Amino acid sequence: MTPQALTRARLTRVPGVAVALILLCVVFAAANPGFASPANIANILTQSTILLMLALPMTLIIMTEGLDLSIGAVLTLASIALAMTAISTGSPALGLLAALGVGACFGLANGVLVAVFDIPPFITTLGTLGIAQGLSLVVTDGQSVVGIPRSIELIYSGSLAGIPYAILFAALAYLVTHVLLYRTRFGTYVFALGGNREALKVAGISVRGMLIRVYMFGGLMAGFAALLLTARLNSAHPTAGIGMEFDSIAAIAVGGTSFERGNGWLFGTLLGVVTIGVLRNGLNLMAVPSSTQVACIGALVILALFIDGLRGEA
Amino acid sequence: MSTTAIPRSARNRFAMSGDVMQMLYRVLALLLLGAVLTALSDVFFTTGNILNVLRQAALLFLMASGLTLVILTAGLDLSIGANVALSGCFAASVIKLTGSPWLGAGVGIGCGAAIGMANGVLVTALRIPSFVATYGMMWILTGVTYYYMGGETIHGFPPGFRQLGSGHLFGIPVPVYVMFVFLAIGVFFAQRTIWGQQIYAIGANPVAARLSGVPVERRLILVYVVSGAMAGLASLIVLARINSAQGDIGEELTLPAIAAVLVGGTSLFGGSGTVGGTLIGALLLTLVLNGMNLLQINSSWQPLATGIIILLAVWIDTRTRRIGE
Amino acid sequence: MSSVPVLELRGISKEFPGVKALDEVSFAIDAGEVHMLVGENGAGKSTLMKILCGAYRADRGSFFHKGQEVAMHGPADARKFGVAVIFQEFTLVPYLDIAQNIFLGREFSSALPGLIDRSRIHAEAKRVLDSIGFDIDPRTPVHKLGVAQQQMVEIAKALSQNARILVMDEPTAALSDRETELLFAMIERLKRDGVGIIYISHRLSEVFALGDRITVLRDGRRIASLLPGETTPDKLVTLMVGREVDATYTRPDRPLPGKVVLEVKNLSATTGFSDVSLTVRAGEIVGLCGLVGSGRTEVARAIFGADRASAGEIRLNGEPIGSSPEDSVRRAVALIPESRKAQGLALARSVGDNIVLAGLRKLFPSRIYIPRRATKAARSVIDKLRIATPSPRRPVSALSGGNQQKVVIGKWLNANAQFYIFDEPTRGIDVGAKAEIFRLIDNLVHNGAGVLMISSEQIEIVHICDRAYVMRAGRIAGELSRDELTEANIVRLGMHQ
Repeated sequence: MTPQALTRARLTRVPGVAVALILLCVVFAAANPGFASPANIANILTQSTILLMLALPMTLIIMTEGLDLSIGAVLTLASIALAMTAISTGSPALGLLAALGVGACFGLANGVLVAVFDIPPFITTLGTLGIAQGLSLVVTDGQSVVGIPRSIELIYSGSLAGIPYAILFAALAYLVTHVLLYRTRFGTYVFALGGNREALKVAGISVRGMLIRVYMFGGLMAGFAALLLTARLNSAHPTAGIGMEFDSIAAIAVGGTSFERGNGWLFGTLLGVVTIGVLRNGLNLMAVPSSTQVACIGALVILALFIDGLRGEA
Repeated sequence: MSTTAIPRSARNRFAMSGDVMQMLYRVLALLLLGAVLTALSDVFFTTGNILNVLRQAALLFLMASGLTLVILTAGLDLSIGANVALSGCFAASVIKLTGSPWLGAGVGIGCGAAIGMANGVLVTALRIPSFVATYGMMWILTGVTYYYMGGETIHGFPPGFRQLGSGHLFGIPVPVYVMFVFLAIGVFFAQRTIWGQQIYAIGANPVAARLSGVPVERRLILVYVVSGAMAGLASLIVLARINSAQGDIGEELTLPAIAAVLVGGTSLFGGSGTVGGTLIGALLLTLVLNGMNLLQINSSWQPLATGIIILLAVWIDTRTRRIGE
Repeated sequence: MSSVPVLELRGISKEFPGVKALDEVSFAIDAGEVHMLVGENGAGKSTLMKILCGAYRADRGSFFHKGQEVAMHGPADARKFGVAVIFQEFTLVPYLDIAQNIFLGREFSSALPGLIDRSRIHAEAKRVLDSIGFDIDPRTPVHKLGVAQQQMVEIAKALSQNARILVMDEPTAALSDRETELLFAMIERLKRDGVGIIYISHRLSEVFALGDRITVLRDGRRIASLLPGETTPDKLVTLMVGREVDATYTRPDRPLPGKVVLEVKNLSATTGFSDVSLTVRAGEIVGLCGLVGSGRTEVARAIFGADRASAGEIRLNGEPIGSSPEDSVRRAVALIPESRKAQGLALARSVGDNIVLAGLRKLFPSRIYIPRRATKAARSVIDKLRIATPSPRRPVSALSGGNQQKVVIGKWLNANAQFYIFDEPTRGIDVGAKAEIFRLIDNLVHNGAGVLMISSEQIEIVHICDRAYVMRAGRIAGELSRDELTEANIVRLGMHQ
């Protein structure tokens, strides 16, 4: 197949997600004139950055036929760790280290439980979700952590040459994940984990080691995302990240990554994240309550999976 | 090896199956835990506390009993908590509107069953893995419930209805009687009907079951409907107990229900486990949570403890599978 | 071509519990030769192949590489001597491209730390592909390739690891004529490069067209090694098939068959067969033969309703059937599937539970399950079929293969089945148990049932069946009456000419 044909083949995927995105934009713009304003669009993109940082590693995890339901709760706990450390030591850098530490721990735990103990990923991460959530509540006693150093808050509100830091962060995260997936051995083996694990074994690569690294990647990204979350809220709250794992899975499903065979499309995830962002923003402007928004997203995911099934994802 | 050489008495010894032994171990664990808690806390072995434990365990068992059937088929229903919320809120509205608890109960259970039916269709017709389908359903239900309730609370149910949750009969809380009724129904269904046998077969090997003439899709839809209906029933008891309904009721019941089923000996991989085991699992879990309360451990640790218990139970399950293979 | 073989095996023997897979087999492969390995199913070809690549260890025998004796302990040794096997299940990752698959685990690093040099991987891959005459863009994702092309990628992968001996197992099984030509052209190139090829095939035309030498295996022994010019296809078939008649089973006299029980007309399905017509009468055992992959199991599944048919009709006693397994069971049809562990038994459940599963509705019309009645029914089947288990409560996974198969068959006695489809009923069962299974099947037809039996063992078909259909590449190649039913005829009809 020629490179041109390959590109054309890849482009036939775009219509699915892009059409949905464009449709939603049109509908919301019609329903609410404020939707299409530059300020609102900037808002959508900025709000989507945290979700993107979770959805990127989640894409890799799903490609390995796994799942990480705990990522939202780990994000929350990491943000709490960041806030508390930054406040008590006065150093945002140490705070970030604490957040990364939390993320790495949970990533390692998830990876080991899945790879070494052979516990199905959804049960494992359901368990670690409970643990992370529990820890968040216990450590904060249910209260917000306030008094964040100003420098952290600036990360979310500040900008460089007109582009908000948050978007730059997210772009960097996307770049890193892209390079990791498409230009390193690690990324190549991620495809194999989902597509044909036997191939890895025959090539002498440790499947267990790879799985642990993939889940740790998720944990670390959650740690980084915690920086953005804490900056956005200017505080850390034990229920802040709840439900973000659901949004990220939804974004990935809508974006076209299927749940099996090691088929992943990073750009699709990006489009999916923006689609979810648009959906939430539009519904917000229509004063639809948050929990109903979730119901809409759920319906969208089921629709996406249904269409996937019809198309007979090969 | 010929069958005629072994005398009848020896055959009976073989007949004491592993299942019964497993049940025995769990009852022992239960008694042990009870003993430990009695030693650790003066309050534990008081009438008030024991009745409380029984009431809680009964509610948990009702949630977990339908779920047991689902897990027997190697599936999972993560939507039961959200099901309780939506079914409960609908039931509450109907009770307030019509004044009739019976009508409300019907709506509650019916709503629960309908949700179960939707889950069943997603899993069989759309072939979505059960944990994904019910996970998505959970979020959808939560959203719909919040939309419906608009953040408000419904309170004040007729005293007759409230008896269901907070009443006593001969000193024992009413939910315990309900628990026994459904224990009997559940055990009968699973062990004494052909549908139960078919469900076990589906969990053990769905391909072989299908090729033996078992209508696999119909039975799968059945187990999800039952799981949903039991959630609907549980919602009634919650309503009756707290005498109000709001969008987040039942949320905290999903993980413990799953834990109860797994601790009770039902394997996540399908094909083995009993409703009776789930009862013991529900009691064990309630004791653990009750114990944590009595020992003044922050209630925020509870989801954490439940999570760890689930992981342990699954790990033991995986190991036992390995040995058996 | 040198006179010393690249690889030589002498006196190789390998035993598995109850079965002698290889008995003092000697085999050699020269550089640049295509050495054909032929024999019936179960003759020992795949065992030999696995020993060659180090997946199995031989019990006895010695290995020589270029004339020197060497040790062959495992896959690493095999790779050292340049042996690579192209298996039927590929080890390719669908969403990676060809080049990435070829170099999986051996990627080239780029100047930047941690990154791989994609252009170099693609360039090297192109080189390897060109060397075998496979003209394709190495950036093509593997899932877009057809089976033939994937096979070529596997070959390229093997060559890129400096394989000097390729073992190919039925490489043309899934290929079209055109793709086969391309494969042959590639094999010619490999020969010129001095690569030795061990080629396993059932297609006599290939054997003679491509082979430089032919070795015939039968019952684990090497029967002959010949040059193609020294023999003919017919002689080859005789060598593959001729053996002593198994005297432990004698076919009883059967009453004349009754009326037509099963009638299949022009049946086709996307699962892999078309325009199949056959009939089975009450009291008859009809065989369905052919090579693995000829569509026999697919026909059986369609008749039973496990797969959808796309055209044609199936009638049982005149009424249409085949919509679902549930319906078939209600209509008293039984299927004993190919893989008893994966498809016939619930391994975690007890013997008794498995035995009563298909007959639940018949045993318990009120739908109430009474354990005592179930145990009684199970014991009666256990006694009748002489299943060796101390109790119906034993988990069925604890039984031997033969007894497990009896459980699968026994399942249907409770369901009062009147028509049985057997798919490889004696696979993996030792000789003693085989005879018992045959007697069981005899009893069934004696009581008026009709039987359709699929088997890859021609000798079984010849012994037990009243007549047989032979399938080839998804169609019925012919029907053999009792008089025409010989192993040679079956093999001849079943193979490509």
